[in-house]
Amino acid sequence: MAEQEQSSSSTFPNPPSFWQDFTPENLTRIEQLRKSFAEANPTRDVPIRLSDIPDSLINLQPPAEPKDGKWRVFGEPLSLDDKLQTLEEGGITNLAPTHPSRQGDNATPSSLDRRDVPRADHALELKRLIKSLLLNFLELAGTLSINPGDGLAKAEDLNTLLFNIHHALNEYRPHQARESAAELMQEHLDRTRRETTAVRSQVEKARRVLEGLGSLTIPAEAVRGAAAAAGEDAAQVAEELKALDKRRDAELWAATDAAFA
Amino acid sequence: MGDRLTQVQDAVDQLAQQFVAALHFVKMRHDLETLGPKDKIRDLPKQDPQAPPSEVDSLPVDDFRAGLTELSRDLITKEQQIEYLISMLPGLQNSEKDQERAIKELEEDLKAAESQRREALKERDQILSELDQVIRSIRRP
Repeated sequence: MAEQEQSSSSTFPNPPSFWQDFTPENLTRIEQLRKSFAEANPTRDVPIRLSDIPDSLINLQPPAEPKDGKWRVFGEPLSLDDKLQTLEEGGITNLAPTHPSRQGDNATPSSLDRRDVPRADHALELKRLIKSLLLNFLELAGTLSINPGDGLAKAEDLNTLLFNIHHALNEYRPHQARESAAELMQEHLDRTRRETTAVRSQVEKARRVLEGLGSLTIPAEAVRGAAAAAGEDAAQVAEELKALDKRRDAELWAATDAAFA
Repeated sequence: MGDRLTQVQDAVDQLAQQFVAALHFVKMRHDLETLGPKDKIRDLPKQDPQAPPSEVDSLPVDDFRAGLTELSRDLITKEQQIEYLISMLPGLQNSEKDQERAIKELEEDLKAAESQRREALKERDQILSELDQVIRSIRRP
């Protein structure tokens, strides 16, 4: 009883019954089946759906595509080729049926040529639509002031215009998507190039530091060698060496600082 | 703040809303006139000022005119705005083929830049290990 209450009050429906089929054993079995398929057909990619599969594992692979390419989710009809509904299909008058971008593929003799057309005329058409929208509103206001009963037809015109504008804008979306993709790639390219130059300049600096270190060690050793050769008093030599070391250290750090600055 | 197409669509929707608002203003705030000598303007009982007026709530003529002017100006401004947005739409000058070509070129450039970057990184690792060696070899005297 309690369970029933819970299920009726839950926001989401229970998971489909086949979720229990996804046991570790079944998963390993289907994995083995896939492997054996890959060994049997090394040249082909393993398809998402294996054709001959035991009934107990049938739920472990995704179902086939709907044959007619249409299905419903939450009451909404969906189709495999997600195309923009044409205005006629939506029951709206198409205001620019002669425009090259509005004709169906079968209507234009050369749909390839269409891809060559810059989108500038598209913008022109949009601007025309917007302008006539404003004009139609003016007409609507005028009609309403004379005979309010006739306003409905004019409002219908406005409706058609608005639908046409939105449709034209939606038609533009793929174009904008490509444009943004190009933009993103350009950005990525710039970033990569910046990074490369930054890395290179750092490497250059590090190299200079290394060279600086190499040139610094020489004088101290020369003095050391000279002192040993002269055979001077041992204590004095030690004292001198200590002072030299200190100086060398200081020089070294100064050089490093200069190189990194 | 969406992409530019969505901006245009939003602006168009706003324009439509402005249409409605303008008509509503005209409907509710106009002055009452008598059409003939026998007509009489009825005196409505004073309503609660908080409640939305169900009948015409007349404005003085000057205010009404000013309101009309302002609303019309707003409409025009919005229209101009939409036109500006349209002329700002990305890639108006490019055709689909242009775009494809540009994207392909960018892809090539990206590959080249990526390999350069890898080279630079390798160089950096090398210099790093060199530096490492030098630092390790330093002994306190």
